[in-house]
Amino acid sequence: MKYLFSFIAFGLMLPLTSCIEIIDDLSINEDGTGTFRYTVNLSSSKVKLNSYLALDSLDGKKVPSMEEIKERVNEVVASLRKQDGISNLTIESNYTDFIFKLKMDFNSVANLQAAIKEVAQENSKNRVLDELNHNWLSFGKESLSRSIPHMSIERGKNLSGDEVASLKEGSYTSITRFEQEVDRFDNKNAVLAKNKKAVMVRSDVYSLIQKAQLLDNTIYLKKSDGQN
Amino acid sequence: MKLLTTLAFITLFLSTFAQNSEALVPKDAISVFSINNVKILQKISLDDLVNYQFMEEVQQEMFDGSMAGKTLTESGVDFNQRMNFFQGTGKRFGVSGFTLGIANREDFFEIFDDYAPMDSDYPGVDFYEAYFNRMALRGNSAIIFRVEPNFDDVEEMTDSIWYARGNDYPWSYRYNDWDDDEETMEVENELDNVIDDLNEFEEYESEENTNNPVEDDNDMVATENPYEKTYWELRDSVEMAFQLSCMKQMCDELFLKNESLMSSDPRFVKQLGHASDGIFFVDNSRNLERENDLDYLRRIYPKFAQNVDELYEESLITGDLNILDNSVVMDMKVGYSDQLGKIYMEMTNTKFDKAVLKYIPENNGGFFTYTVNMRKAYETTYEYLMPMLTESEGPISMTAITLELIDEFVNKDAVFDLYQGNMFATYNGVKTIKTKKIVFEYDENTFEYAEREVEAEEEMPVFTFGFTTHRNDIPERILKRVSRIYPDLINHGNYWEFENKVLNTAPLFFILQNNLFIVTNDEDLARNHPKGYGSLALNKKTAKQAKKSAMLFAKVDTDRAIQDLPKRMFSDYENEILDVLRGKSGELVMSSSKSTRSSTDFKLSYNFDGAGTDSGTYILDLINSLYIISK
Repeated sequence: MKYLFSFIAFGLMLPLTSCIEIIDDLSINEDGTGTFRYTVNLSSSKVKLNSYLALDSLDGKKVPSMEEIKERVNEVVASLRKQDGISNLTIESNYTDFIFKLKMDFNSVANLQAAIKEVAQENSKNRVLDELNHNWLSFGKESLSRSIPHMSIERGKNLSGDEVASLKEGSYTSITRFEQEVDRFDNKNAVLAKNKKAVMVRSDVYSLIQKAQLLDNTIYLKKSDGQN
Repeated sequence: MKLLTTLAFITLFLSTFAQNSEALVPKDAISVFSINNVKILQKISLDDLVNYQFMEEVQQEMFDGSMAGKTLTESGVDFNQRMNFFQGTGKRFGVSGFTLGIANREDFFEIFDDYAPMDSDYPGVDFYEAYFNRMALRGNSAIIFRVEPNFDDVEEMTDSIWYARGNDYPWSYRYNDWDDDEETMEVENELDNVIDDLNEFEEYESEENTNNPVEDDNDMVATENPYEKTYWELRDSVEMAFQLSCMKQMCDELFLKNESLMSSDPRFVKQLGHASDGIFFVDNSRNLERENDLDYLRRIYPKFAQNVDELYEESLITGDLNILDNSVVMDMKVGYSDQLGKIYMEMTNTKFDKAVLKYIPENNGGFFTYTVNMRKAYETTYEYLMPMLTESEGPISMTAITLELIDEFVNKDAVFDLYQGNMFATYNGVKTIKTKKIVFEYDENTFEYAEREVEAEEEMPVFTFGFTTHRNDIPERILKRVSRIYPDLINHGNYWEFENKVLNTAPLFFILQNNLFIVTNDEDLARNHPKGYGSLALNKKTAKQAKKSAMLFAKVDTDRAIQDLPKRMFSDYENEILDVLRGKSGELVMSSSKSTRSSTDFKLSYNFDGAGTDSGTYILDLINSLYIISK
């Protein structure tokens, strides 16, 4: 029986990263506090993911067990909880459909960024990550600039040809919400919600690998008196 | 008289081939692949040739561009002589390489231009060297070889010198000084970084690659005293000295004593006499003899080890390769000792279960049937094993008691009625299965999003596995009990369905019919053909072939089975073997004969469509796979 399972599992081994959907959702209040939600949806690849998990190793590397993955997720969450300015952190992990939803409140964009950097550094096995010297978020009274950390892009570049091709099916959605209305934004691919308080930029993951700046955006807010 | 005839035959054969390339195959060669009809390789480019694994040990000098775009025809090779690839391990060293005939030395050295002449101590033999490889030319034949001394010997000698010089245990720093976890972690992290950095290099200097040397600014400093060798330097020196000594031993044997595999093993001589396009010879008994992992067993339990060695002493695989019209046929004879022969004969003394054929669809991507009598195999093995264990030393003889008790108390009738030994498996291709996925839908007004479950499709390979049983009541009882705990396990009468059991997504089916226990993820088989495929089953011709084949029959449509399945599902080793079939269309059929007291014959035929691939490539591909298997 195990033999049959192994065969089925083997046969399904297509790139892990195929059909990944990421939603990066940042809500900012007028006082600079806000909520960050990060959702990873791998339900389209659940058969493939289950097939990976049925194996001991893949491409010569050990495949973590479900327990090890859960442990790792818990470690990252615990690490984030310890960071200054981060509160109400929750994670919803659906290991049947492989959907993970992280949600946390922050007291400033700077603290959110610092927390992510700290956790990234902790998980980098003490390697120097140049990307951590760069700021991806910058919030002033009238505008917010954001980009995607390049390290994720660089990791994407190390994937095989098949994996990169399958990333075309994946998507990355970046949403930024405000209490005020948005006046304008720089990214031509971005769209404004009808309520004019949210901006969305979407890209397939493959295109992001080709051009990391696709999701870069500077959003300008309307002043409270209606002037920008 | 018989002995006299044999001796006369061998003498005649040796004198005929004495000056040919096969006479240069060292006696320590365990695996030899000879291409008798070298003409079939005339169109093979040298670039392609050196990419084969069996060339890996001696190929690096050929990467320097001297062979670019050339074929064997232009390399001075004598096509009237065999080309013999060999590898093996002797008591002191391992040796690998190949021998071939030379028609034109000038052309030959245009290819092997990195080999520099060196002094020869052997009359009539010219020597050349390149890195760690040697080439010896005698008459119109050449041997290109590499010798690797036994690493245990090297280490033993190194340790001996090291301690005699008053040094401490060379590994002490590792165990005594790095107790601190944090420090160990730091070193591990540094090591990870180094590995990552190395991975970023597209090419770095190595023995095998000298085209793109990397300049190293940080030359390693030996020790504080440059005249005193570190442990590693000492070990390199010892290895080098051993290598020279082993090489001398091999050359003395080959060129002074005229001891070669041909002179020492008449079975090899006999195999060389076959009029086929290629032959192979693998002396598995020596593989076992030289197996270092068994050294401990030999020292502690010599009697038991001797018995094991005797059991495998005549283990020999020989074979012939022939290229016919659009097919390569390999006839293989697996020889073994009388005792193993007795076990195999009993094991294969059984009838093919025709019921399995009902469950192999004509439209399959590949299948195999395996027919053995497990009970007879068990009883014969038990009969042989018990005295062997009882006579063995200490703790091993104690295992005899355990086996005796198991034999006494286990209900063998139930075990062997449940699993008799006949089994089959099929690969029915990749099928699309219905599954669910979650999508996020966005509110255009606010960009808030919510989950929605939608239908999706994923592709899944479909396999079936089954075995003959006369006790289907046992698995049925188990399934009934399990279904009480797991409501997802449902009895549909003709079959059982376990919902979402395959990777939490697709159902798994159990079919208990026709004295067969079948497990499959093929919904079509379970729902529509639980009693067999009927007219959709395997065609009569193939079914007859399977029935006729004694122990094993396998047929694989390489287009469907090998190409469909992702490369990464297999290990590197398996991929090396399967590479022979990738990118080629064809059909692979393997069958076996009834086992005799001394051997079992296997036949492997590979029919290909022939488009675009030279037949020489197929034979080299097969040799490569055999080489990897025999390593």
